[in-house]
Amino acid sequence: MEAISLEQVCKSFGEVRAVDELSVRVPEGSIYGFLGPNGAGKTTTIRMIMNIIRPDSGRISIFGDGTFELVKRRIGYMPEERGLYRKMSVGKALAYFGAIKGVKASELSSRVPWWLEQVGLADWADKKVEELSRGMHQKLQFAVTAINDPELVILDEPFAGLDPVNQDLMKDIIGQMRDDGKTIIFSTHVMHEAEQLCDFILLINKGKLILDGSLEQIRSQQRSGVVVAELEGETNFIESLPMVTAVQRQGRRLEITLAEGADPQQLLRIAVERARVQSFEVKVPSLHEIFVKLVGKDDAKDF
Amino acid sequence: MRKIFKIAQREYIETVKTKTFILSILITPAIVGIVLVLVNRLSRDISGPRPAKKVVVADLSRELGDEIKGAFDEYNASRPERQILLEELQVDEDSEEITKEKVRKGQLDGYVVLEEDCVEGQGKIRSYTCGTKIAELDLISNVENLLNSAVFNRRCELRDVSQELLTELRELRRRVPVERVDIGSASEEKRIKAGQEAVEIFVPFFFMILMFTGIFGMGQHMLTSVIEEKSSRVMEVLLSAVSPFELMTGKILGLAGISLTVMSLWGITACVSAYYGAAHWWGINIDIPLEILPYFGIYFVLGFLLFSSLLAGIGSICNTIKEAQSLMMPISMMFVVPMVLWFYLVQHPDEMLARVLSFVPPLTPMIMVLRLASSEHLSFLEIFASIVLLALSVPAVMWVAAKVFRTGILMYGKRPGLWEVLRWLKQG
Repeated sequence: MEAISLEQVCKSFGEVRAVDELSVRVPEGSIYGFLGPNGAGKTTTIRMIMNIIRPDSGRISIFGDGTFELVKRRIGYMPEERGLYRKMSVGKALAYFGAIKGVKASELSSRVPWWLEQVGLADWADKKVEELSRGMHQKLQFAVTAINDPELVILDEPFAGLDPVNQDLMKDIIGQMRDDGKTIIFSTHVMHEAEQLCDFILLINKGKLILDGSLEQIRSQQRSGVVVAELEGETNFIESLPMVTAVQRQGRRLEITLAEGADPQQLLRIAVERARVQSFEVKVPSLHEIFVKLVGKDDAKDF
Repeated sequence: MRKIFKIAQREYIETVKTKTFILSILITPAIVGIVLVLVNRLSRDISGPRPAKKVVVADLSRELGDEIKGAFDEYNASRPERQILLEELQVDEDSEEITKEKVRKGQLDGYVVLEEDCVEGQGKIRSYTCGTKIAELDLISNVENLLNSAVFNRRCELRDVSQELLTELRELRRRVPVERVDIGSASEEKRIKAGQEAVEIFVPFFFMILMFTGIFGMGQHMLTSVIEEKSSRVMEVLLSAVSPFELMTGKILGLAGISLTVMSLWGITACVSAYYGAAHWWGINIDIPLEILPYFGIYFVLGFLLFSSLLAGIGSICNTIKEAQSLMMPISMMFVVPMVLWFYLVQHPDEMLARVLSFVPPLTPMIMVLRLASSEHLSFLEIFASIVLLALSVPAVMWVAAKVFRTGILMYGKRPGLWEVLRWLKQG
């Protein structure tokens, strides 16, 4: 079953088409990454899912339900712009948001300390929110998002502004949530974050869908057609093979670019016949390379 | 419903905790209290016990010695707690400088010179004091009265007026006691003591100010709260948990709690000082028309809903308090009308102007409370009609405010103009 489905969703701000006929299905229990450069339409899409802005056309349903208010309490949302009441104490702010998200008071008394412990803010419970550093503030914001134990967690740029240690902490918690069967959507413009975490990826640029699918699927579809091989013996025959378009040599290491539609297995068989193969690797493209290939260098320079 | 209550609770607690709020609600009763205590101190100083005062009198006519002593003795005999001691009776001005120096040093409270021809001619009484406190102003006038009666006695003596006649003359000059009665309320005629009318005219004014504070005075907190949520970007998190309407309702309820707190604090302070303070210190009974309280309640609830939703709407389209203040100008200007006209309206509560103003919904609560507190002839029909008109305007304003609020709270950047806001209303 789908946690979220978007059908032909459009949204314009004045002349600018922020989101253009976007359709996505997010399966339950997965981590879905919304990727794209700045201004691609990620935040607009998330805000439409959260019913903060309304799409000009198209249909959005969450847990199969078109009425947002009915499913609201099953969602945790961390907006791109972080904000909490500055004058409240950390513990009280977390408890307050838990309460308005419908968590019972009896449960809050155990959940608030547990979450503060999770994000490493247990010692800060009585401090005011304004005393927190940026990174701590963001971790508290994450705790606020998760305090109602949501089935669907939507995080807009969750790692922006965190140091590597805290990024790992957040990734661990997100991984844990997925293991508990929750659905997680997060947006990022940093590709390697998505590669580490995501099961599925949605790549958008200028409001248009570029790619959508599981990480593996995308990688195999978007094979770069490059093989890295280490061969011993006479290797000049490689250039003359019809399936090969280019060879770059670094000592014994060869980077072989295959012709469109050529099968790396074929190349391997020929190589084994003619030389001694030390290593043979079909190069898996990074998301970055895929993106550059699909949208061109200019649009990809933010990555 | 639980969410709305939670929002209201937070709104209330976080506002009540702020220093500005505590100061703003304490400062008015504090000022009133200080003034009352000062007035009380002052009046006690004028009539209550105090240490004996010392004066020196110089009688340059040299013929009043016995009369002066007699007058002082008579005065002191009847006022054992407020003695004025005649330290020395001089007959010339030779020791004038020494005596004045004593006054300056505080060894004496006054030095009074009776000029030579004061009995028959144009001679003056010259009084010297140093750094007189307001509470002691009566000392010198008392001494002057004593000296005057000494001169009067001397004049009578010179004309052979007999003691009996003198006593009789004093008796004849006795003032007729006054009793003023207000026959406005035929059943219970109430005695009016001097000063009571002056105080009573402020009772309707006080009710009006209390209404103003209740429905509008706390509006600043609404603006601050909405704008803070916008500028700290907490709005999106809130909206992921509650609907804009729940948020607005919660805020209005929280603010209502704050208004009720302030009104009851001020109201109780005022009633206590009016009942006990005024009766105890000034000996007057201020008649507080408590029977208008049910109406006060109705007008308060309606007026409060009207203004707090209006302010929530205004707050939602602004990014800074400064922006909000310029939008608040026209609303604040509206309240100038009852503030300027209240004195006239209290005296003419049943005339055309008062009637017309009662049917301008934003002004209805203040004007009607003012009129209810100052007139006993308001027709029930008029009261009822004003309530109905106000009650009809409340949902209309709330509807508009909720629409504006829903869109406004997520708008950042330039403040939308009037046309854009009107467009939201059409769209929503």
